Amino acid sequence: MGDEVNGSEIFKEFKEYSVVEFFKKNRQMLGFAGKVRSLTTIVHEYTTNSLDACEEAGILPEIAVKVEDLPDGHTKVTIQDNGPGIPPSHLGKAMGMMLAGTKFHRYMQQRGQQGIGGAGCTLFSQITTGKPTRMRSGLGDGKVYECDMKIDVKSNQPLISNQVEYLGNFRGLRIEAEFADVNYDKSEHGVYEYLKRTAMANPHAQITLIEPTGEKHVFQRASDRIPEKPVEIQPHPLGITTGDLVDIAHRTDSRKLSSFLCNTFSRMSSAKADELAKLVPTVNFDKNPKDLKWSEAEAIVNAIKTLKWIAPPTDALRPIGPDQIEKALRNILSPEFVSVSERKPKVFRGGVPFMVEAAIAYGGNAGRTNSEGERSGDITRYANRVPLMFDGGSCAITEAVKNIDWKRYDIREFDKEPVTVFANFVSVHVPYTGTGKQAITTEEEIVDEIRYAIMKVARDMQVYLRGKIREMDKETKKKIIMRYVKELSMDLSDLAGDSTPQEIEKKLVEMVETKYERIEGSAEEAEKVEEAKEEVGEGEEDEKEEE
Amino acid sequence: MKKKRNDAGSTLDKLEKLGKEMLAEINHGEAPTFECLLRSRGNILFDENLGYIKLGEKMETRTFLNVGQAKKFMQTVAVASKCKKFLKEDSHTSIRGLFYQLKFTLGDNVDEELFSEQSQSNPLVEDLEVALDVKREDLNLNTDRKGVVAGNVVLMDKFGGETNEIDCSKQGRSGWMIPSDVDNGMEFVSVDADYVLVVEKDALWQRLNEDKFWKKENCVLISPKGQSSRGCRRLIRRLADKKLPVYCFTDCDAWGWYIYWAIKTGSMNLAYLGSDIATPEARFIGVTMKDIIDYDFLSKLTIKTKDVDLKRAEEMLSYPWISAHKEWVEELKTVLATKKKIEQDALQGPRLSFVGEYLREKIGKKKFLP
Repeated sequence: MGDEVNGSEIFKEFKEYSVVEFFKKNRQMLGFAGKVRSLTTIVHEYTTNSLDACEEAGILPEIAVKVEDLPDGHTKVTIQDNGPGIPPSHLGKAMGMMLAGTKFHRYMQQRGQQGIGGAGCTLFSQITTGKPTRMRSGLGDGKVYECDMKIDVKSNQPLISNQVEYLGNFRGLRIEAEFADVNYDKSEHGVYEYLKRTAMANPHAQITLIEPTGEKHVFQRASDRIPEKPVEIQPHPLGITTGDLVDIAHRTDSRKLSSFLCNTFSRMSSAKADELAKLVPTVNFDKNPKDLKWSEAEAIVNAIKTLKWIAPPTDALRPIGPDQIEKALRNILSPEFVSVSERKPKVFRGGVPFMVEAAIAYGGNAGRTNSEGERSGDITRYANRVPLMFDGGSCAITEAVKNIDWKRYDIREFDKEPVTVFANFVSVHVPYTGTGKQAITTEEEIVDEIRYAIMKVARDMQVYLRGKIREMDKETKKKIIMRYVKELSMDLSDLAGDSTPQEIEKKLVEMVETKYERIEGSAEEAEKVEEAKEEVGEGEEDEKEEE
Repeated sequence: MKKKRNDAGSTLDKLEKLGKEMLAEINHGEAPTFECLLRSRGNILFDENLGYIKLGEKMETRTFLNVGQAKKFMQTVAVASKCKKFLKEDSHTSIRGLFYQLKFTLGDNVDEELFSEQSQSNPLVEDLEVALDVKREDLNLNTDRKGVVAGNVVLMDKFGGETNEIDCSKQGRSGWMIPSDVDNGMEFVSVDADYVLVVEKDALWQRLNEDKFWKKENCVLISPKGQSSRGCRRLIRRLADKKLPVYCFTDCDAWGWYIYWAIKTGSMNLAYLGSDIATPEARFIGVTMKDIIDYDFLSKLTIKTKDVDLKRAEEMLSYPWISAHKEWVEELKTVLATKKKIEQDALQGPRLSFVGEYLREKIGKKKFLP
């Protein structure tokens, strides 16, 4: 909930300063820091909007992104989707007003909780190039609407010009915007990587990227299953912070503190509210929640922690799902091996439900190419399917990967193997480390949970790797024996007084070939047995580690 | 009597048979194998009835298709094939010579030698000896000559296309040096002696030779010059087969005594040759710790034992075939207790020819240790 506080603060500040001033002051906070990161943020804002819109409308997303370097040094970004489009009446609000999105203060699991959205990009384009953003929207009703969009930086109102409406079959949204102070590159923080990772977590989406060089990349759809819509839920008492409580209390319509608590939080019955009231006699539970003081809120939050609560509902969590992740990874990375694990929902901070999905891909295009041009282990981090591209060093997922003794899983050095670790943190509330929302806080219960999820798939990979080593062993063994065949044939021919060393050699070669073919089958058998053992032993290991 | 063998023809046949059997396996679609008795410690035992150390029944099978055995298998065949060639050509070499004959790379694109160290080929020679029930000498592989003999023994030595009669009574001051192979192309023409006297040290052998001891006593005088070689032990065995009693005369310490025991029961290292080289009927003359009591002057001629002497004495006490004899237990325990020893040379203390007197007395009165 801390981020919502930030949102509110932004909102408050926003009233006091001009939009431009605010933006300039908060550039970093909004993800517009650094030329590469700025461009990734732009593409991210547009792409998540498109994905969310498509999903909400039950459409399989098709998104095309084109990045062009213009002669004047500007960069043009064009993005088009096949989503439901935005009615002209709402387009200005959606793309021409800061912080007017629909995602604020909704307690549900959604991609965009960043809150600057498309309008932020409009503004960024405007303040770096002075140009408007061109919009085209079609609802699929045979009419197409186009306009130029700017933001009136003083009033935070959309400035719409060059509107046209014509007949056409276009459905979806197309945005063309120019930016300065951005840079396209193919680093691990760049647009290409961002879209690739997006595709890895969204197998139902088809994403196309045209790079400034003209090179076209298509991340093919791997699944026709549209993710279920997220549900809005009430916050659980154990997940609340003092700041959140004050903030929500001040915005409520409830008249009494007790009824506010019952209406706002899940698992807060009137009996529970009474129990709470007894614990904090200094607080009047009949008072208007708008008058709730910080110290009172603090007392309530502390008291909440001493009570027993029914666990929060977990049905609001929307994981990607193991089969979907596997499809996506196979599709994007063409790996030799993939394993996916899904942990049961857990809570952190005593009450916030979350769950972790993890996967590991080995071989093929798994891993990344490091600066020395060598294959290296890759960590792909996600929060609610959104790739986390920056601040990896301070992220719980990175921490979890680093805490794993990879040697145990036959990965001698994580940085030198073609392996991709995939981890998706699923929660209505993602505890980001900062307003950039690019890293998950390294709280022990979160790091542990991520680690267990990854360890599960690492074990699967180990079984695979062992089998592979056996395969290689077989090859090596065969080669070892083969190199002695010729000498043996000659010596044996001499010893036995036989004059056909070539005959002997031929028969021996045949023998070695068949022997090491036959063993192949039995090795696979052995592997299966090992796998079975692994599964049996697994539960124990987990428990031990979790203790 | 032992089965007759050891002529080049039969060894050649054995080698060829080994190859033919492997070939038959291959032709039957089976992996070629090589089988021989295990020579490891676990398969070495002392046969009380026969009175010598021999190999047990445990077999070792080497298969070419087993990756851990493939190279060794090929090497074994290479050694066998090479020995067959030596036999055919009637040429001899040492195991080091054999190694050099087999030290070459396996092929143009194989960065590996058939053998890169002699320590790899030596055990394979022994394997062949065991598997074919032959001695390395039968494979035309010689060891260094060691040991010397004098006495009324005449031998016929067929070697290098020539035949020479060797009269061991006409070898002057040096005696006849015992060759590595006393079987192949070597036949007794006549043995005219009452017993065999084995003297540990060459110096004492020279003493007795100078004293014409073997002439006067009508014995065969042998010195292994320390620990006895295969050829020397084999000659003693062959003389014993001629019904000559064998008496041994060594230093009075565990090392010397062990030389006697190696002649008598064979040794662990050569357990696979037990029946060929052990002479269980051999008896021990001295020098013993008891002699110090019997011969006054010796008590002044003792020297201090070294750690290795004591260690060896302890080892010997742990061998059941030695500790079965209470006389030997007593002797060994005395060494351990007094930490003293006497060299056989000490018997020259009173006068040089005393050695002969000592031996005559011991042999005459049959004062032997078992």
